[in-house]
Amino acid sequence: MMGSNPAENHPISFKWITKAKENGGVLIHVDPRFTRTSAKCDIYAPLRSGSDIAILGGLIKYIIDNNLYFKDYVINYTNAAHIVGEKYKFEDGLFSGFDATTKKYDKSTWAFELDADGNAKTDPTLQNPRCVFNIMKAHYERYDLKKVVEISGTPEDKLLEVYKAYAATGKPDKAGTICYAMGWTQHTVGVQNIRTMCMIQLLLGNMGIAGGGVNAMRGESNVQGSTDQALLFHILPGYLKSPVATDVSLEEYNKKYTPVCKDPKSANWWGNYPKYSTSLLKAMYPTAEPAQSYTWLPKGEVGKNYSWLPLFENMYKGDFKGFFAWGMNPACSGANAQKNREAFAKLDWMVNVNLFDNETGSFWRGPGMDPKKIKTEVFFLPCCTAIEKEGSVVNSGRWMQWRYAGPKPMGQTKPDGDIIYELFLKIRELYAKDPKAVFPEPIKNLGWDIATNHVYDPHKAAKILNGYFLKDVTIKDVTYKAGSLVPSFAMLQADGSTSSGCWIYSGSYTDKGNMSARRDSKQTPEQAKIGLFPSWSWSWPVNRRIIYNRASCDPTGKPWNPEKVVVSWNEADKKWVGDVPDGPWAPTEKYPFIMKTDGRAALYGPGLNDGPFPEYYEPLECPVPQHPFSKQLNNPTALQFAHETKSVCDPRYPFVCTTYRVTEHWQTGLMTRYQDWLVETEPQMFVEMSEELAKLRAIKNGEKVIVENVRGSLWAIAIVTKRFKPFTVMGQTVHQVGIPWHFGWITPKDGGDSANLLTPSVGDPNTGIPETKAFMANVRKA
Amino acid sequence: MKCDRRQFLKLTAVTTAATAFGGLGFNFGPTAAMAEKLALKTSEAKETTTICCYCSVGCGLIVFTDKKTNRAINVDGDPDHPINQGALCAKGASSWQLTENDRRVLKPMYRAPNSSKWEEKSWDWMYTEIAKRVKATRDKTFVLKNEKGLEVNRCDGIASVGSAAIDNEECWVYQAFLRSLGLFYIEHQARI
Amino acid sequence: MAKGFFIDLTKCTACRGCQVACKQWKKLPGEKTQNWGSHQNPKDLSYITLKVVHFQEVVVDNKLDYIFFPEQCRHCVSAPCAMQAAKPGAIIQDEATGAVIYTEKTAELKFQDVADSCPYKIPRMDAKTKRISKCDMCLDRVQNNKLPACVLTCPTGAMNFGELEAMSAMAKKRLEEVKKTTPKAVLGDPDDVRVIYLFPVDPKLYHQNAVASLEAPLMTRKQLLAKAATPLRRLFS
Repeated sequence: MMGSNPAENHPISFKWITKAKENGGVLIHVDPRFTRTSAKCDIYAPLRSGSDIAILGGLIKYIIDNNLYFKDYVINYTNAAHIVGEKYKFEDGLFSGFDATTKKYDKSTWAFELDADGNAKTDPTLQNPRCVFNIMKAHYERYDLKKVVEISGTPEDKLLEVYKAYAATGKPDKAGTICYAMGWTQHTVGVQNIRTMCMIQLLLGNMGIAGGGVNAMRGESNVQGSTDQALLFHILPGYLKSPVATDVSLEEYNKKYTPVCKDPKSANWWGNYPKYSTSLLKAMYPTAEPAQSYTWLPKGEVGKNYSWLPLFENMYKGDFKGFFAWGMNPACSGANAQKNREAFAKLDWMVNVNLFDNETGSFWRGPGMDPKKIKTEVFFLPCCTAIEKEGSVVNSGRWMQWRYAGPKPMGQTKPDGDIIYELFLKIRELYAKDPKAVFPEPIKNLGWDIATNHVYDPHKAAKILNGYFLKDVTIKDVTYKAGSLVPSFAMLQADGSTSSGCWIYSGSYTDKGNMSARRDSKQTPEQAKIGLFPSWSWSWPVNRRIIYNRASCDPTGKPWNPEKVVVSWNEADKKWVGDVPDGPWAPTEKYPFIMKTDGRAALYGPGLNDGPFPEYYEPLECPVPQHPFSKQLNNPTALQFAHETKSVCDPRYPFVCTTYRVTEHWQTGLMTRYQDWLVETEPQMFVEMSEELAKLRAIKNGEKVIVENVRGSLWAIAIVTKRFKPFTVMGQTVHQVGIPWHFGWITPKDGGDSANLLTPSVGDPNTGIPETKAFMANVRKA
Repeated sequence: MKCDRRQFLKLTAVTTAATAFGGLGFNFGPTAAMAEKLALKTSEAKETTTICCYCSVGCGLIVFTDKKTNRAINVDGDPDHPINQGALCAKGASSWQLTENDRRVLKPMYRAPNSSKWEEKSWDWMYTEIAKRVKATRDKTFVLKNEKGLEVNRCDGIASVGSAAIDNEECWVYQAFLRSLGLFYIEHQARI
Repeated sequence: MAKGFFIDLTKCTACRGCQVACKQWKKLPGEKTQNWGSHQNPKDLSYITLKVVHFQEVVVDNKLDYIFFPEQCRHCVSAPCAMQAAKPGAIIQDEATGAVIYTEKTAELKFQDVADSCPYKIPRMDAKTKRISKCDMCLDRVQNNKLPACVLTCPTGAMNFGELEAMSAMAKKRLEEVKKTTPKAVLGDPDDVRVIYLFPVDPKLYHQNAVASLEAPLMTRKQLLAKAATPLRRLFS
């Protein structure tokens, strides 16, 4: 567990972590602070927030130096043997192709050396100095124990304990898993944090096996689902790409995003892309030809970033007239929250859908606001709670679970589905009446058959996600009738004869019924050994529970570990037994990582914006002017706004500050701060600090103090604790403090305000996720 | 003194009625004789299954709803659910209080320009007024072609954030709704 | 039929599920609290907080530990509070389960007597009504074949509930396992209570009243009966 705190933030997951310990598992927690999780672990190692890649890079070096990697797995299933092109260089913190003006990389210099078919050349003997394995080995040569300790502040003996324990899982009969969360994602090197762990898991043969994986512990009941349904600018449902202006037609768009691979052993599943994009268009616009409805989709400007941080930057500049804050509270959840709060005042109107009055909808009466000067109209729409409506949610394990309504929506509250349904009808009505309306086609033609007796019907919508045959379709001697539900995405077509709102959900609601509502806990003895529960709810895709599970077998289809079988090849019946196999092909036919174009998992990843290998950089606000790995202090491609000051070695703000959560509150606290059973347990904003720091600032436990930095200041109750200790970083003492981001001015009265008033609006160059886990601040007596 | 335990209890028995659990007030325990079994306040309730609305571990809940009032009277963890087997952390255990909460907003509310208060409005009024503004803003800020003359069909004047807290089906219809209007600034919790 | 709890403190992660589940089942109000420099809140049991999780940071054998104590009534096998109660019907010990129940008639008792009789200092009084309250083993749930709310809600197996014999056996077995790596582990008064805690380290580190034998010894049977006999003698004479 690193970049996460499961006992506190995913508490019931700890039921299973506890069982793992009982069964002989070793629990490791690497975290800036000794938490409720650390207290139950066999090994706890502290690290200064932001120094994860040093520790993980060091682990890669340890694994390679000590020959602890799983050779057969690495050679057969990863791109370790791929040969990188001659243009690739890495020097002093920068990869080849960096443009200092645009602060972007030209990734073409990172390409593999290709053969005549366009496949990467490989050297399975791993002798070629430019094969991935050797370049990787050379890259992490710098990540020796001394340097890692120097920058992270982790004691060397603890580091070795972690390395030794984890690297031992490189054996075929051993498994290691990583549970990570915001501690890794909320950094300007967030994606590379996670990438480093992927590389470690691949080196150790831990992907696709029982008890392995790189497991994101997601944060909201349906954030997995909402991501699948693409409530993000850059994707369409099912992880299709949002089109940009230069994707002038459906044909061009499909061509651009459909990968081609001439290696017959690569399944290249994304090669089916046009089937999914076309089926999506038919789901959204059932009466139109896909080529036509494609033109109705909005297109982004090439290279423009429409994500969260730029969105609020632009709102602050006055670029938006209207805004929907639907089941979100950006006045408290957004980094640099004061900027967001002031940005709302630039809007003409805001629609705020929520259970309670909140800091976003009521921004105009917040601290420092003068309502008389704020023109923004706010339309607050009260939605009902989750237990008052019916529908599905998807958890961290991709289990799609159906929920039923218990009590009725209280008062005049409504399910969000009802609100969306009615609102769109009203808008469409206005467009129908106005002959001068601007570009009404997409609105007029949007498929909106999601109601029964004029009331939003979640079952109808769920079936749209699954998909229908729109004509009689014959596949392999079976004719599927028009109007019937598709059994799986394997039947989706690119010719407009099928629809599916989200191809990965195909199979979730079929003629067999609502798969996500299943409650059968039956398991075979083999399934029970790994807790597969194949008939409880439904997991995408096609109810496969462990993705890439053919990597749990050797290339002949025999499980690496016969005690913990996920799938195994039955030669007599010529099929896989166990979990839904990640591809039905015989073992020798296709590589297991079927969503990668060349079928191999990536140790070298030339597609990311900040490099094909994770490299150490300090957070954009940091306490040291240099680090041991290169002269490049920060991620050169990080998302940031030039006009905003960042604190680098600023004596006014000498302490590293991080944000986190507690079990008893949730996210901005909007839902939990209105419950007195929960407020009783954690009533006020607090700041945790070491006894040493408290002494330095003459702060007593329980005293109200001020936490401040370039962006703002707030009060917090000091919790002086042994669980934080000062770090020694680059030879100097660096103190770290931590604050929860659960509070907001609206309630409780003396509860405090949001930690995000202090966090910086800088983000990861691949995802744009803000670096709310490591920034600089000062703490002093109030 | 000869008095065995059973006699002792009978002597101390109280004969008030056996139902101490009718309403939702403080609930300190029985006043009935221990010889009678205590009533279970949820025995007549409608039981439905759902999934916790918080952290994404996906714990199962059983909601007990009073059939007469249609209000929840209890929420327990679902003992049959393979993930939590009846367990719930503080937040999940508190689920009842999220719903049966007298501080919820129960009617649509409107804040007028420069006003310092909320006003109650009807749903119809809300839908009509919001639709008017969406249309007006969209028509004013819609970009048919970009500077390079390429067709973009984008509504640049409206942005949306939210929500990881709504169901899959609602997420899908919401993204369809927003994209049909031409929005490109569509974001939510996954991004932060 | 006698029931018991086994509370394995090697597994408690202080998720506060138990603290909240108790309030939820009984619909007890939340208290108005302030952060006093700890994650623990409320600071103590009260007449509306029948279960509270205590947090302590301790250093044992030079190692930092963060230990948690979900405090509740022990439902003593022979409950001193029940035996000395001067008013009939105020404190009842359920024959079937052994649950010690405080009725509304506790308002007529002298609170100090009840409080003093408890080796764990559990009983709490409502200043307004004078009624005394504490955990009631969720007797309504137990009699209807459900687990007490705090037991059902516990994720890690810290909270266990069942027949007292089985819980006692479970406690002893687990103690032997735990002692292999944590030799100072002890059970809290396992023969005198129905709520048997397993303390991985010195019980005093968890709470001053964690066990009876160290500071406030259980009254002798003689002392108890002497107190209990008085009201009964009146009834019989």
